[in-house]
Amino acid sequence: MPSAYVQFEEKYCTGCTKCVRACPTKSIRIRNQRAVLLEHLCIGCGECIRVCPEGAISPVMSRRGLEKTDKITVAIVSPILYAQFPGVMPCDVLMSLNHMGFDHAIDLSYYLEMYQYAVERFIEQNRERKETPWPLISPICPVVKRLIALKHPGLLDHILPLKRPVALVESGIRREISEQYAVSEDDVLLYHLTPCPSKVTYGDTDDPEDRSGLNPAIGVNDIFPRLLEEVEATREMDLNLYPYRHLSFIPNARGPLWAMSGGEIAGMNIDRALAVSGLQEVKKYIEKIEMGLFQDTEYIEFRACPEGCIGGPLTAVDKYLARSTVQKLIKMFGLGRRIQPRKLRRLYDRGWFFSQTKPSDYREEIEDKSRSLTIEDMRRIEYILSQTPGHDCAACGAPDCRTFAEDVVRGYARLTDCYKFALDQCRDSNKFSDKTSE
Amino acid sequence: MPPLKKCFHIKGRDFIHAGQAAITVQKLLRQMGIAQSLIRRIAICGYEGEMNVVMHGGDGLFCVEIDADRISLEISDDGPGIEDIARAMERGFSTALEEYQEMGFGAGMGLPNMENHSDELHIESAPGKGTTVRMLFHSPETGDSQED
Repeated sequence: MPSAYVQFEEKYCTGCTKCVRACPTKSIRIRNQRAVLLEHLCIGCGECIRVCPEGAISPVMSRRGLEKTDKITVAIVSPILYAQFPGVMPCDVLMSLNHMGFDHAIDLSYYLEMYQYAVERFIEQNRERKETPWPLISPICPVVKRLIALKHPGLLDHILPLKRPVALVESGIRREISEQYAVSEDDVLLYHLTPCPSKVTYGDTDDPEDRSGLNPAIGVNDIFPRLLEEVEATREMDLNLYPYRHLSFIPNARGPLWAMSGGEIAGMNIDRALAVSGLQEVKKYIEKIEMGLFQDTEYIEFRACPEGCIGGPLTAVDKYLARSTVQKLIKMFGLGRRIQPRKLRRLYDRGWFFSQTKPSDYREEIEDKSRSLTIEDMRRIEYILSQTPGHDCAACGAPDCRTFAEDVVRGYARLTDCYKFALDQCRDSNKFSDKTSE
Repeated sequence: MPPLKKCFHIKGRDFIHAGQAAITVQKLLRQMGIAQSLIRRIAICGYEGEMNVVMHGGDGLFCVEIDADRISLEISDDGPGIEDIARAMERGFSTALEEYQEMGFGAGMGLPNMENHSDELHIESAPGKGTTVRMLFHSPETGDSQED
């Protein structure tokens, strides 16, 4: 279990409270003028990374980058990477990774297609079953899964029980690569190139038991400057002379489409599907599902980042620029499918696509372990809240007055952390000293 | 000890904020460690009740009372009232304006849903006198109720 998804660098933090207010799960406080993370409430969304004006917050990740090693280094490439290079063919980007030092690059788009097939099949098979928890929720965005586990555990069984495409890749790639390069499986080193701060901590296994062999992940923004140089060099080369054996799968436009909000469902044959992006919107929709809405919707694609994964905190270029790049790729390549349904159906029937993760496992990963509040606690919270200034200034270090009141009741803050209570106390003691001096 | 009571105003015709009271109550109950399935039922009932006020009633009041052995929701409004309560309880019976039905609301499932998901449902209403809907939920388990 990771201790935290983000880290704060004390020497840069000014205690400005921007991250405190931005955190969707209210997991940050200011103590002694520095940001402090309540780790058990953090879902790794990266909102704090975005808003910090000092750059004091970073994802917890392997900062080692690409190592010099005798092992076969394999880049598992999120298609978001292609969206960072306007006017460059995805193949050229992969080739450049090769020049940069990766022995092999794997494009995800074929796995995305396989995943989409599995979703279609799952919905087709369960459409008539009454006990299916509609709407089904896409398991792709890890932040959304953690948000549900933390705040709406009753909805965990809505998450589609299929493996994510990255987990599909991992299931066989080590063996394939080791055979191709004639090395042992231990000598294959997988790297994830990702825009997502939240995948960075985990490598990307879907199996909760298998967190030991975490694969290192590299943020797209970390690799970007070096890769840009290589991309420019690659474009000068005559690629016809270049062997393609260093790539698994040739990318098409379906991968990049996936990077945008709505791209996952756009590639699927499902009638009643929705795509929702941006954490605030996602929160609203999940609350509505909890209230019994959208039961006539079959599938909801949630993405915590605005505009989808191209809006991830670890991207290098602006999300709208990235979107236009993707749209151009789609125009150029079209959205043809490559998968062979008959083969995939056999795999599906054998259970290859199904995730071993059960809803309860997500709760093991993250669960609100705060003590349950009693009716008496609630009464105290309401009383304290009624005495606060009520304009959510965050000067006390909590994001809003209500959270401050809860913190006081939970013993995590003192009443005098709020300026109003401090002022009152000051006045009282002044009165007292006035009296004594008389 | 008297129960914990919290009230929220509901504004008629305000579809933008519709559901806010139910969401707030949902959060409150979660902090108190109420079982997930019960929170879900209360959320569904609260939302349906709130939507009824937004669609039909003028202004309304949404009150929740939390006690050790029961939770009650009381949703009242000063709207047009219900002419025939038995009829209103029928599945699919709706008097919602056509434009609301086009928006996907007013499918005539509100009251039936509330009856399904609550332990007790009481309706007081007469034409021109507004409506009060009272729902009871028995024995909320507080503390560490583990339910998936």
